[in-house]
Amino acid sequence: MNGFLEYVPGTSLMHRLNPIVKLLGAIVFAVACFFSSNLVFLACMLVLALAMAASCGMMKPTIGLMKAVFAFSLLLAIIQILFTPSGDALVVLPWGYIGTGSLIAALTTVVRLEAAAIPLFLTFYVTKVSDMTNAAVKVLHVPYKYAFTFSLTVHFIPVFLNDMKGIMESQTARGVEFDQVGIIKKIGLIMPLCVPLLVSSVRKTNSAAIAAEVRGFNLRTRASGFKQYPFAAFDVVALLAVVALLVVAIIL
Amino acid sequence: MTIEFRDVHASYNADIPILKGVSFTVEDGEFVAFVGTNGAGKSTTMRLVNGLLKPESGEVLVDGVPTTQLKTSELARRVGFLFQNPDNQICCNTVREELLFSFRALGALDAEAERRVDEIIAEFAFNPDDDPFLLNRGTRQLLALASTIVVAPPVIVLDEPTTGLDFRECVKVMDIIRHLHENGTTVIMVCHDMEVVADFAERVIVMSDGCVVDQGPTFEVLRNRHTLKAANLVPPQIVDISLGLNMMRPDLEGTLVATANTLNEMELAIATAVGKPEAASSVPTYAPTAPGAEDALVEGGAR
Ligand SMILES: Nc1ncnc2c1ncn2[C@@H]1O[C@H](COP(=O)(O)OP(=O)(O)OP(=O)(O)O)[C@@H](O)[C@H]1O
Ligand SMILES: [Mg+2]
Repeated sequence: MNGFLEYVPGTSLMHRLNPIVKLLGAIVFAVACFFSSNLVFLACMLVLALAMAASCGMMKPTIGLMKAVFAFSLLLAIIQILFTPSGDALVVLPWGYIGTGSLIAALTTVVRLEAAAIPLFLTFYVTKVSDMTNAAVKVLHVPYKYAFTFSLTVHFIPVFLNDMKGIMESQTARGVEFDQVGIIKKIGLIMPLCVPLLVSSVRKTNSAAIAAEVRGFNLRTRASGFKQYPFAAFDVVALLAVVALLVVAIIL
Repeated sequence: MTIEFRDVHASYNADIPILKGVSFTVEDGEFVAFVGTNGAGKSTTMRLVNGLLKPESGEVLVDGVPTTQLKTSELARRVGFLFQNPDNQICCNTVREELLFSFRALGALDAEAERRVDEIIAEFAFNPDDDPFLLNRGTRQLLALASTIVVAPPVIVLDEPTTGLDFRECVKVMDIIRHLHENGTTVIMVCHDMEVVADFAERVIVMSDGCVVDQGPTFEVLRNRHTLKAANLVPPQIVDISLGLNMMRPDLEGTLVATANTLNEMELAIATAVGKPEAASSVPTYAPTAPGAEDALVEGGAR
């Protein structure tokens, strides 16, 4: 059982990479995707991203993610097709035309978003959030407070999703129908849904803050972490590889 | 209104089956308790009763109609549901609004509803203008209970209504439930407190690992240590004590202290042994041994 963005234990190469390499690598990978508009290169990036997902056995969440990203990028793609005429005209519209160029541009958008998103999401599935923050504090000298805020935020996503589910069940049992259509009716759902969620989140954050406080949160420094995050040869290779990809993206 | 489960299989995701063929019937006006260890599938069963979860195979019939054919609001009108966490349903600024919201959710807000709400407020001795979020845990639970029963559903499902309450609040909640039951409401309750089960339920259904392993009148289920043990449960102390007394008979120079075939008889057994041993001779002489009764003294002593 694991939820959205929740760590899945494993021993694959991806799991064993240095957390910093994973995080930076994913970011550089995404940047590379946005630097290039070469469809062939982007397709290669997508294949590479999928290979990474397969190598750590994360195909199932990845496919779920791809569906979500596809829905979003399709929206962008449709706008692109309709409003950025380029290439040979295929269909004439009152305000312009749909051209071969528009279709390619739209396809590029879809592939680019998919390729850029996968490694970022993958990072969360193969890295413990605590490792990510600890490494950020140790290696990158990020102040612990900020690193912790980040990890807590990620940590709370499944918690709040779960709360949300409980609240929806409770209200459904009272007869509130969540499959309402129409804006006015949807607004009516704010009260039964958002008020309990808000109250429980405020309660939770409050008690989390107190719990952190009594455990000496303020005393924690960079030196407090026991675990070391040394770079192995493989980490360096991986980092160089993504940087190389970025260089290729810039050249192309 | 009857609730019937026919060989129900259910799960949250297809890989892990949770309920593995559950069948039972709750008759109109009954008070049934579900017991079982953590994760036995009691809450899942309750979710099926009011259609929050639909069966994968088999049927859940509410008043003869499968839950798959009923809309959320139609089901909500038939089956009231009290979850363990009252904070999930409290969403209004005052106690009165909260109670009125129950009617609004069902689309039944009218003058009659307002009258009902005032009645309930008086019955529960609430302050109508209190902020629900500032009430203490027990009162919030009572408010959640009140907003469930204010719309007078013919069936009420309670998932651990007394967990986390102190004894006094627990008795308060259970008294209200008993009162409802006496007025004809069908009550289905999940409860970990065996004493509460022994005191209130007419019938007990024991669940273990997604299956019903035993069901029957409360005293018969609770005195059967073999099935309870199989489900990893311990009977309430009153059963232990009276079964223990049953076992001690030979020590009392062969005098029969009492039988322990019903909860009332168990109480009598204790009273007789402790208070007035001379009454013991008036108790019938036949006393079948409860299954596994020999464990009662051992476990009771260890406690
Ligand atoms: N929303 C859910 N998604 C997936 N699995 C769940 C979900 N809710 C419960 N389960 C699983 O279903 C099984 C039965 O859970 P259920 O809540 O029905 O048990 P229960 O008898 O009510 O236990 P408890 O006494 O702890 O309340 C458990 O193994 C639990 O992990
Ligand atoms: Mg439960």
